[in-house]
Amino acid sequence: MKSLRYSLAALALIATTHAAMAADNLEIIVPFAAGGATDIVARSFEPTFSQQLGVTSVVRNVAGASATVGTAEVANSEGNPNIIGYEPAGALSIQPSLKKLPYGPDSFTYICRTVSNPMFLMVSKSSDITSFQQLVEESQDQPFLYGSSGPGTLPHLAMAATVVNSDLKAEHVPYSGSGPAMNALAGNEIQIMADTETILENYDLRPLAVFADHRVEGYDDVPTIEELGLPALDFAVWQGVVAPKGISDERAKQYAEACKATVESDKFKTFADKAKANIAYLGPDDFKAFVQKRFEANKQVLEDAGLTQ
Amino acid sequence: MDVILAAVGDAFTWQALLAIVIGTWAGIIIGGLPGLGSVVGLTIFLPFTFGMDVITSMALLIGVYCGSVYGGSITAILINTPGTPQSAATTFDGYPMTQQGRVDEALGWATFASFFGGVLSCVLLIFCAPQLAKFAVNFGSIEVFALVCLAMLCIVGISRGSLLKGLVCGMMGFFFSTVGSDPITGADRFTFGTYALSSGLDLIPVVVGAFALSEVFVRFSSRDEEATTIPEARLRFPGLRDIGRRLIELVRGSFIGSFVGALPGTGAAAAAFISYAAAQKLSPRRANLGKGEPDGIIASESSNNAVTGSAFIPTLALGIPGDVVTAMMMGAMVIHGITPGVRLMQDQAQTVYALFVVLIIVNVAMLVLSKPSIGLFRYLFKLPLGFVMGGIVMFSFIGAVSVRGNPLDLVVAALTGILAYVLRRGGYPLAPLVIGMVLGPALESSLRRGLLISRGDFLSFFTHSGIATTLFVLIGLFLIWTVTAGVLEWRARVATRRKAASAQPVSE
Repeated sequence: MKSLRYSLAALALIATTHAAMAADNLEIIVPFAAGGATDIVARSFEPTFSQQLGVTSVVRNVAGASATVGTAEVANSEGNPNIIGYEPAGALSIQPSLKKLPYGPDSFTYICRTVSNPMFLMVSKSSDITSFQQLVEESQDQPFLYGSSGPGTLPHLAMAATVVNSDLKAEHVPYSGSGPAMNALAGNEIQIMADTETILENYDLRPLAVFADHRVEGYDDVPTIEELGLPALDFAVWQGVVAPKGISDERAKQYAEACKATVESDKFKTFADKAKANIAYLGPDDFKAFVQKRFEANKQVLEDAGLTQ
Repeated sequence: MDVILAAVGDAFTWQALLAIVIGTWAGIIIGGLPGLGSVVGLTIFLPFTFGMDVITSMALLIGVYCGSVYGGSITAILINTPGTPQSAATTFDGYPMTQQGRVDEALGWATFASFFGGVLSCVLLIFCAPQLAKFAVNFGSIEVFALVCLAMLCIVGISRGSLLKGLVCGMMGFFFSTVGSDPITGADRFTFGTYALSSGLDLIPVVVGAFALSEVFVRFSSRDEEATTIPEARLRFPGLRDIGRRLIELVRGSFIGSFVGALPGTGAAAAAFISYAAAQKLSPRRANLGKGEPDGIIASESSNNAVTGSAFIPTLALGIPGDVVTAMMMGAMVIHGITPGVRLMQDQAQTVYALFVVLIIVNVAMLVLSKPSIGLFRYLFKLPLGFVMGGIVMFSFIGAVSVRGNPLDLVVAALTGILAYVLRRGGYPLAPLVIGMVLGPALESSLRRGLLISRGDFLSFFTHSGIATTLFVLIGLFLIWTVTAGVLEWRARVATRRKAASAQPVSE
């Protein structure tokens, strides 16, 4: 029996060391579970990016708490030149204002923004509402319900900002993702949803407005929020690459060059086209300024809607 | 017709068939190893599909998915440790059968029920996907709330020893599921200021701790020689007459699984519990359930494998993934340029039909590969017990940490293991804990969403829709039934005791 216990202990040790083993390769943290929308783009981004850098990379999914767990892991690796994060908009520009996190917008070395898709305000095609004006009017008697992919996500913020800045009467019902929210919209449990072109194209939806500073190609008859007489609201679903603070300028430059080359590569372009991801490259300085601006704007929305802690 | 023939041609290429065999076999093994389940299996195989064509990659992933859901039953039956949470309900009757020396029979029923459920749900998917999808859309938050309440009632049935102990464990599981971000407001709950806890307790580490680790602890602390031997795994398929006798159980389980699988946000584990609860009320052999009755295995395994087919219904008909696993499949489709959505059936008919054919071949492959896979487990479990148990601990920890890559999950698994060991020693059933953990989040978020929709009026839940009313009436009947049965049983017991007392001769 004793030997059995020893072998048990030995095997248990192997298990834990396996998990704790840190590789020398470049680690790309994706703060979502494998197979999600962000993960797919990250995994298509990775081969060309690694090739450009001349390293072997491993994509590691660290999911949980609205993508902040994985993001925190990048922020906490200060000075480590072998870890980067492929980050969604929410983890960088919304979550730090929502709750106490071990990081803020200043905790990273910004590398690049890769893709960005503007969001649309949408209703079901089966509804008879065809304009934002009509939506506002019909909401006066009985407030509408708008869905989101969770509290503090971009679909939530975009609608919260719209409600604060217009006469629209609508209340929030969060779901566990865009899919369940679409199910609810199809069953008329909710009436409004804000999301990207991918969602708009795949379901029977009607766009009423776009959260961007100009009309979007292919949707020329969809007005921007500003044209509807509201303050300009800019909401887009974007992704980008960040590294921890404290890495050398040389390393940061390497990353930035590799990222630019990857985003401009035919392979990534073909993929982005298929996945309806809109390539929107921003270099290190522009990306940093962009995140800072979005962070401030989102914070304002959260404060107006009474969502900050 | 041409499209269908072309689709069959697509599915019967050697690449696709090879992918099915490899995927299904690997899926069964991965599912059978405690801790490693469907999600981990798919994560392992997803990167391989990037270089394949659509049908081959879907064949590989569907194989892994269906195989892993079936494979979980093997260890559930052999060592009382479900390989995946989906098979937790299989332990209720599977392990008692093993203790009675009926391993071959138990594995045979589990295999056949999985095959039956898988195929029946494929047929439903092929012929009724649009109708079922339309019906599933009518299942809003309030209807889901009613359904989950109904499923929660199965805790009552499986807490045979003591209802109070079962409820304690159920509430504990429910409480575990509330740790982390609030699903409606996003605020942190029960994290005690520790950031690591804000992502909540994941289901896999808790299941691994509650079943796998506690089983290892129990076996090592037991002085009983019997506890340290694992019976030889053999497989004997049920005869046609037996199948005929239990056909209604197979059909009921498969329909429940197909139906629950088509709803968003429920999944195979919930389907198995609901189906088991139904068997407790409707099986003609219900008195034996929990003591080693094949009907229990059939209820659990036919329904969880039926989910594999029907989970594709909302995915293909509406582009809405029913659970994490189908969400990953959708991701794989997107990589190959197919965007699921309302127009998928029209735009990509050939691919969709090929997918149906693949699903059916996978289920056949599962039946054929069950024997060699169980043979492998027989070989593995012949190793010295220390290695077997050590291996279980190792895979449990790997499985626990690989779902989210969060080291906290190792601690969660270990602590749950210790807690579960203490609970088992105290005679507390562990299944309600897992039920609470599986159904808790669905119950909470559907209730709170329902309250948002009805603007705080709970009474309107009962009259919200025909479906909701029907489900609430069923819950009422179930409760009345349980209480009446309990009272009658109690009165009968009192009566016999009195009779026995009066019949006793006064000897003094």
